[in-house]
Amino acid sequence: MNTPESRHPAELGNGRAPLLEARGLSKNYGATRALDSLDLAIAPGEVYCLLGPNGAGKTTTINLFLGFVAPTSGQAFIAGLDVSAHDRETKQRIAYIPEQVMLYRNLSGLENLEYFAALGGKGALTPGRLTDILVEAGLERSAVDQRVSEYSKGMRQKVGIAIAIAKEADALLLDEPTSGLDPQASNEFSELIERLKNRGVAVLMATHDLFRAKETGTRVGIMRYGRLVTELGTEEIGHADLERIYLKHMHD
Amino acid sequence: MTARTVLRNEWRLLMADRALRVVLGLFAVLLVYALANGVVWMRFQARTVEAVQAGNVERTRAIAEELAAIENGAEPASRFADPRAPNVLGGPRGSHTAVLEPGPLTALAVGQSDLLPYYYDVNIYTNESSFQQNGEVENPLNLMVGRFDLAFVVIYLLPLLVLAVSFNVLSEEREQGTLALTLSQPVSARRVVAAKLSFRALLVVGMVLAVSLLGILVTGGFSSPGRVLLWCATVVAYALFWFVLAAWVNSLRRSSAWNATVLVGAWLVLVVVLPAAINIASGLLHPLPSRVQMVTAQREASNEAVNRRSELLARYLEDHPEMAGGVVAEEPGLGALAWAATDAVNRRLEEVTSEHDARRAEQIALVRRYRFLSPALLAQEVLIDAAGTGDARFAGFQSQVRAFAEQWREFFVPAILASEQMDASVLPDLPRFRLEDEEGADVARRAGVPLTVLGALLVLAGVGAGVGLGRVRGAD
Repeated sequence: MNTPESRHPAELGNGRAPLLEARGLSKNYGATRALDSLDLAIAPGEVYCLLGPNGAGKTTTINLFLGFVAPTSGQAFIAGLDVSAHDRETKQRIAYIPEQVMLYRNLSGLENLEYFAALGGKGALTPGRLTDILVEAGLERSAVDQRVSEYSKGMRQKVGIAIAIAKEADALLLDEPTSGLDPQASNEFSELIERLKNRGVAVLMATHDLFRAKETGTRVGIMRYGRLVTELGTEEIGHADLERIYLKHMHD
Repeated sequence: MTARTVLRNEWRLLMADRALRVVLGLFAVLLVYALANGVVWMRFQARTVEAVQAGNVERTRAIAEELAAIENGAEPASRFADPRAPNVLGGPRGSHTAVLEPGPLTALAVGQSDLLPYYYDVNIYTNESSFQQNGEVENPLNLMVGRFDLAFVVIYLLPLLVLAVSFNVLSEEREQGTLALTLSQPVSARRVVAAKLSFRALLVVGMVLAVSLLGILVTGGFSSPGRVLLWCATVVAYALFWFVLAAWVNSLRRSSAWNATVLVGAWLVLVVVLPAAINIASGLLHPLPSRVQMVTAQREASNEAVNRRSELLARYLEDHPEMAGGVVAEEPGLGALAWAATDAVNRRLEEVTSEHDARRAEQIALVRRYRFLSPALLAQEVLIDAAGTGDARFAGFQSQVRAFAEQWREFFVPAILASEQMDASVLPDLPRFRLEDEEGADVARRAGVPLTVLGALLVLAGVGAGVGLGRVRGAD
C-alpha cells in the first residue's frame, strides 16, 4: 500500500474534524464483497472524488453513507454520528445528488424544491427565497416555474444542488452527477461544487470523469474490487499523472 | 411537519394530474347517481306505505258506514259481503294491512327492501303461503346485491377506486426516481406513505361520506344518529382496509404492475369470488325444498279439507277449545265448516314451510360462518343493517305480522264457530298492527362482531404494511 503516491488519509486532509468518515466499512451482497474495509475521512471544505470502474464499490459507499443499505461490518459517520444509529439526524445534515436527479415531472422546479426542502426540515423558506436559491444554483429565472418535464438533465441536476443549498447541508454525496452532461453543463456543475466547497461543505463524489475529478477534487481515491487502492492529493499531480496512475491500477 | 408537507405536495400532484381528476369526478357522478336511485326508491316506498295506510282507514270507514246503514234498516250491499258476518269483517273485505316503514337510511342502502314485501294484508285467511309467495328468493346472498345504490358503490366500486389511487403509492416513487431523493431526507418511507395515503383516503372517503350525509339530510335520517354513525364508521373502516392493503402490497417492493395485479386479484377474490363461492356452497349443501312442493301441498290440502270439513271441524274444536268459547252452534254453520277446512290447510302448509325455513336457517348459518373470510360481506352486512333494510329488521317485522295474524284470528274465529253476527260496536276493538321497531341498540349489538372482525383485518393489514414499510430504506 505504501507506494509513493499514497499516504495515510490523515496526512492528506486539511486537519479539521471530518464530516464524512468511514471506519472499516464493508458490505457484502451474498458472496460478493462489494466494499472491503473502507477507511475514509472527509473534512469540511474538501471534495473527495472516488474513481474506479463500474462495480468498484463507489455507489455502495454512497448508499452506506445514506443509510440506504446497512453495513456488513464497520461504520459510516456523518458529523461524528453513526449512520446506522442516527438515521434522522444524519440525513438532516446531508444532501444527495444521484446520477439522475428525478423530480415530480408534473410540478415546477420551484414546487419540487419547496417539497424536498420542506422534507429536509427547511419548511419556512418563502417562494422568493427558494427562487433565489434556484437561480443561485444556475437555473434561469424563467425556468423556475416551468414543469420539470420540460427540464434538461442539467437543469434537474441544478435543482438537486438547490435542494442541497436550501437544506444548508454540511455534506454532499454525489453519485456520478455529471455523467451525460455536455461539457458546458458539466463545467457549470463543477463551479457550483466549488462554491459549496468554499462554504465549508464536505463533498464525496463518485465519478468516471478523471478530468473533472482533478479539476474539482481536493483528493482522489481510486477503487477497485471494493477496495480503496490508492489516494492522492490533486494539488500534487497533473492530469496526465492521474490518468497514468488510474490505468496502472486498473491493469494490476 | 412531514405530513403537512406531503399533503400539500399531494394536492399539487393531484391538481397536475388530469387522469386522476377525471377518475375522481366519475366516481363522484356514480355516487350521486346511486344516491338519487336510493332516494327515488325510498320516496316510492314511503308513498306506497302512505297509500296502504290510507286504505286501512278507508276500508274501516266504508264498513262502519254500511254497518250503520244496516242498523237503520238497509239491506247489506251483497249477501256474500255482509259486514256483520265475522268471516267477512275478518276476511279480505275488512282486512288490516300491517306496514313496515322504510328503514331510516333506506336511501343509502335499498338492501332487500325492494325484494321483500314491506306490507301484508292480514285477515283470517292469512297463512304461511301469504308470507312465502312474495319473495323468498332462494339465494340469501343474491338478496343482498340489489339496486345500484350507495351501499353497492361502497362495497364493489369503492375498493377499485381506492386501489386505483394507491396501488403505486410507493412503487411509482421508485419507478419515477423520486424515492431516492425523498429517502435521502430525514423522513421514513412509512411516514411518507402514511401521509400520501391519508391525503387520498381523505379525498375518497370524504367524497363518500359527503354524499352519504347529503342523502341522510334529504331523507331525514339524522333522527337516527346511531345508524348514521354506524354507516360512517363502516364506510371508513372498509375503505381504510383497502388503503392499508395497498400499502402492504407496496411495501413488498415490487413493480407497479405487480402491485396492480395482486391488488385487483385481491379485490376479485374478496369481493366477487368468495361471496359467490359461499353463495353456491350454501345452495349445494342446504338446498331449499322446491317451491312447487309448497304449492302442491297447498292444493292437496285444500281438496282434502273441503271433502272432510265436518270431521276437520270436530278435530279443530277438540284442539282449540278456547276458540269455541263454549258457544258452538248445535248445527255447525257453513262458516264454521269453511274455517275448519282453512285451518287444516294452514297446518299442512306450516309443515312444509317449517322444513323450508329450517333449510334456509342452515343456509344463513353457513353464510354467517364464512362471511368472516370477506371484508366485503362484513361491511355489507353492517351497512344494510344500519340502513334498516337488512335481514334482521325484516324478520322482526314478519314475526310480528305472524303474531298479529294470530291475534286477528282469535278475534274473529270464535264468532265464526258460533255463527254469530257482529255489529258496529266491535269496530273500536278491532286489532290494529303496531310495529315494535328495532332499537338503535339492537343494531349496534348485531354490528359488534362483524365490525370487530373488519377492524381486526384492518389492523392485520396495517401491521403487515408497517413492518414492510419499515424495511424500505433505499430506493432499490
